Amino acid sequence: MAEPASAEHRLEAVGLTRLFRGGVGVHKVDLTVAAGEIHALVGLNGAGKSTLMRLLLGMLTPEAGSVLIDGRDLRSAPSEVWARVGHLVEYPLAYGELTSRGNLVLGARLHGVPDADVAGVVESAIDELALRPFADVRARVLSLGNRQRLGLASALQHRPNLIVLDEPTNALDPAGIIRLRGALLDRARSDGAGILVSSHHLDEVARIADRITVLSDGRVIGALDPRGVDIERAFFDLVLADTTEAA
Amino acid sequence: MSRWRAYRVALSTEGGKLRSSRVVQTTALMLTAGVALLCAAMTHAIASGDPVVVAKFGPVVAAGGWHGYLSGAAQVTAVASMLGFGVALAWTFGREFADGTVTGLFALPIGRRTLASAKLSAYAAWAAMVSVALMVVLVIVGFALGLGLPGADVGVQVVRQVGLALLTAALAVPAGWAATVGRGVLAGIGATVALVVAAAVAELGGVGAWFPFAAPGIWATSASTELFQPVSPVQLALVLPVAAAFGLLTVRSWDRLQLDR
Repeated sequence: MAEPASAEHRLEAVGLTRLFRGGVGVHKVDLTVAAGEIHALVGLNGAGKSTLMRLLLGMLTPEAGSVLIDGRDLRSAPSEVWARVGHLVEYPLAYGELTSRGNLVLGARLHGVPDADVAGVVESAIDELALRPFADVRARVLSLGNRQRLGLASALQHRPNLIVLDEPTNALDPAGIIRLRGALLDRARSDGAGILVSSHHLDEVARIADRITVLSDGRVIGALDPRGVDIERAFFDLVLADTTEAA
Repeated sequence: MSRWRAYRVALSTEGGKLRSSRVVQTTALMLTAGVALLCAAMTHAIASGDPVVVAKFGPVVAAGGWHGYLSGAAQVTAVASMLGFGVALAWTFGREFADGTVTGLFALPIGRRTLASAKLSAYAAWAAMVSVALMVVLVIVGFALGLGLPGADVGVQVVRQVGLALLTAALAVPAGWAATVGRGVLAGIGATVALVVAAAVAELGGVGAWFPFAAPGIWATSASTELFQPVSPVQLALVLPVAAAFGLLTVRSWDRLQLDR
């Protein structure tokens, strides 16, 4: 699906390249996430989704290319820009020795939520991700799925306008996935947040994405129509065609 | 967010993590009650008069009384505090990699340089409290052992005991740097053990007074009643630039951190 020309970009990556030993990595990736848009990044394991997300959030320095967040270069973005970013890449920000509520307080403060607002923000997040029964339970004894919920709540609670989530549905039960979809749609539609979500579960992504970009071997190889009839087949056709071409 | 607010938030966050950590709580217990218990056992064993035990601890400790008791405490503290403080620092920095929480410390309005500085500050405050608490517990246990009222000469040993723990806490900072560079707790613990071994080698080689990682131990376990014998203030002061250098290295490593492995 074509991107609206007048879209305000929450995130813009141009020519992003970072290669590791053996040639794997990310090659010349261009990517945008517009305000109010849910942009899904799909690819097989090892396609480069996590590496790309690390590059987009400053966890890795690119060999070439640049990243703009709200129009500001990532390398010189001030704290005000980062205060409007929420992310979960690979592991939730959940310390085992703290309770769910304690972790959310920590996350809210680290994201710049004013002290006076922290309690309210945290209680809303607990309700939004249905964490109330585990609010005073230490994170170390939470199930994997509830830890993921906690991490997502921490990433979303400060109402960021750019959200980057790597495989957010990992370990979530169906109820958790529905909660997450609702939270993401709310952020995109109500707050105008730009959301980048990686996944290899095409059906889950298709239900909420405005755009789907396919990544293979560290490169963008095409896009899928989220409202297509059989996007799983379209996805594998794209990957197969790319693999055949490369061979 | 102002730099001051960022630092204040980071410090309170790191302080909360330290307070809640079982690893840190256990380390504090071992460095206070554990060391005091060991010293009490040592004093009891010497009082039994077993010549093997007396020979093992040396003439100063074997002399008994507050002097012998605190000399024994200094010997134990020199090694135990390096290991304990090193473990605490290795955990403080290394656990972010081991638990995967390090990814959540990127893309924040609070920079990683500030977060690392706050980790070191929280650790310094905790280590200072443990150092003083160890002295207090040692004095209480000394009274409980029936050592009676301490003489005036014990004051030098009290200063040395607290100084030893504080200087060793500073010398454990490389463990935080190693845990960062090695991306895990074990790297920090390995560095701590290496420092203990290096200090022992330097001491046996006769150059310990000029080796900052050995100097506080030699100073605190000395039988001299002179405060700065056999290690001079200059030799002890070398601890500070070494600790500061590794502190700066740790902060710099966090500032430039890349999750590329």
